[in-house]
Amino acid sequence: MTTLSTDTPSDTSLSPAQLREKKDRRRAITLLTPGLLWMALFMVLPMIMVVYVSFWTQTTFTVESTLTTASWERFLSSSTYLGAIWTTLRIWAIVLIATIVVGYPVALFIGLFVRNKTLQTALLVACVIPFWTSFLIRVIAWRPMLGTEGAINAILMQLGIINEPLTFLLFSEFSVLVGMTQIYVVFMVGPITFMLGRIDPSVIEAARDLGASFGTIFRRIILPLSLPGVMVGAIFVSVMVLGEFATAASLSGRKVNLLGNIIVSQVGSLKWAFAAVAGVVLTIIITAVIALALRLVDLRKEM
Amino acid sequence: MLTLNRVSRRYGETIALDGVDFVVPENTYMSLLGASGSGKTTLLRLIAGFEEPDQGEISINGARIDGQPSHLRDIGFVFQNFALFPHLTVFENVAFGLRHRVNAPVKNEKEIKERTDNALELVGLEGFGHRAVSAISGGQRQRVALARTLVTEPRIVLLDEPLGALDANLRSRMCDELKAIRERLKVSFLHVTGSETEALMMGDKVAVLADGKIVQTGAPDTLFAEPLNAASARHMNAWNIFDASLCAGPVGQGAIAVRFDQIDISATGQAPETRPHLKAKYLTGEFNGPTALSFFRAEDGTLLQIIDHLSQPRLPDLVEGESYDLHFAPDAVRQFHGAA
Repeated sequence: MTTLSTDTPSDTSLSPAQLREKKDRRRAITLLTPGLLWMALFMVLPMIMVVYVSFWTQTTFTVESTLTTASWERFLSSSTYLGAIWTTLRIWAIVLIATIVVGYPVALFIGLFVRNKTLQTALLVACVIPFWTSFLIRVIAWRPMLGTEGAINAILMQLGIINEPLTFLLFSEFSVLVGMTQIYVVFMVGPITFMLGRIDPSVIEAARDLGASFGTIFRRIILPLSLPGVMVGAIFVSVMVLGEFATAASLSGRKVNLLGNIIVSQVGSLKWAFAAVAGVVLTIIITAVIALALRLVDLRKEM
Repeated sequence: MLTLNRVSRRYGETIALDGVDFVVPENTYMSLLGASGSGKTTLLRLIAGFEEPDQGEISINGARIDGQPSHLRDIGFVFQNFALFPHLTVFENVAFGLRHRVNAPVKNEKEIKERTDNALELVGLEGFGHRAVSAISGGQRQRVALARTLVTEPRIVLLDEPLGALDANLRSRMCDELKAIRERLKVSFLHVTGSETEALMMGDKVAVLADGKIVQTGAPDTLFAEPLNAASARHMNAWNIFDASLCAGPVGQGAIAVRFDQIDISATGQAPETRPHLKAKYLTGEFNGPTALSFFRAEDGTLLQIIDHLSQPRLPDLVEGESYDLHFAPDAVRQFHGAA
């Protein structure tokens, strides 16, 4: 009888549902394994190592594994290094705002006003064209642009707007900000365009039909709906700007010292423990910034 | 009163609307019936101001509205996909127009709350204000969309296939409610649909849009019983349209139409002498519950349909593939002049 077999399920054979579940779990593990291995070997382990090394004893040319807080004390009591943290945070904040100010209107145009999907994609690709050359060329190309005898000064002098070349344009914090904004703005444009493109056009028409002006629609509908895109873009830009050193190195004339530049110079002079301290500090800052960003917008809900 | 005067709209080579003349009187439920692609959504979008006509005038009570920005036109639009604001609650969706319109926005929070709650009550959603729009059902979203439009007291309400996204059960209930709500508010509704049953059931008046033109406007029963041309007869989905030369008997010439329920069947050669008749082959039948539909193929290939009501069966037993004589009363025929 069938009742007999259903009343006494044997322990050894699994039901089809259980088998399916087991299979799904095995597949999930298979898919995750390469990524997890990679992360463990090349991220988690080195991170632990960096924290560990930051407590090693540093002498002029060698580093020993005797634990000490000397490097930390030196870092946290030096105005140069605390100043570098401040500079890093300041440049990060300004670049972040600049990328939003420059990037949002571009994204608004591509994502909302261009309704042809092909053209949208073409315009987004156009934004990435600068990335077809190397990072260094993109940065160094600013020198003939911003220098005292560069293009901008030459044009302004020609037009008679200025009599002497503007010197703040290059080898200053200004040039670092310009360079970074240009390089990272595309990481802001992409996610915002994506979110704007997902807004149903009839939602905007509905708002107009209810009597709202474009300004109101932007403030009440478009901006809130695109905010997750701004947040994702902000995370991209933050992570990259906070760890930056190359733009500052080539455009600031050594006037701007970011945490990244400190790490580079300390590693260059074999001050491993000290570089590790800066690295840990930088990691803490980046983690805090991302945590803050995720706090502001619940991405899980919005995506 | 909304008036459209020779309104045309082209998209490149395609002519969506070709000189539409159309009037929606005050305090009327007007249905606009058209097949998909007939330009009925374009018509609504022109009235609402999402697009502008290439030619012609649109006016309300004699004042032109074409050329005006859509947010100043004071016309309600209920979207087929509801187009609710996904980040706002039900209450804030409905209150949006009151709060944020350019013309006379309501600043008083108490008044906003009162009017919004009244609108929600009108559509049967009292107590749903705090819900997220993603947390309510399709039928409820439809009601929110309606409440959101009605709360601003527009001069006319345009409904773009408002029932299309609902399941059949909900659709018939919503039909009754839409009519009742409109009668309470005394505002004109212009309801666009592709379904002739919906158009006939809802409308105090029905207009038929075909090939970019309004081909007929009238009361539902008149339109159903006396279509003026082949296009509007075809939209009623109740008329066989065929060439008079197929028939023996007094039927005139050109395209004629006979309603599905006014054709009788007899064996070949048995048709009464006094009635016009034609020969056709029985293809198949379709049982729909209270009615049964039989399909015939005339000699020139025209498909003919005959409806039989279960309570009053009048058809003989039919054999697939056999030919029969279809006959009808001479006064059942509608004769159309000009192109079919």
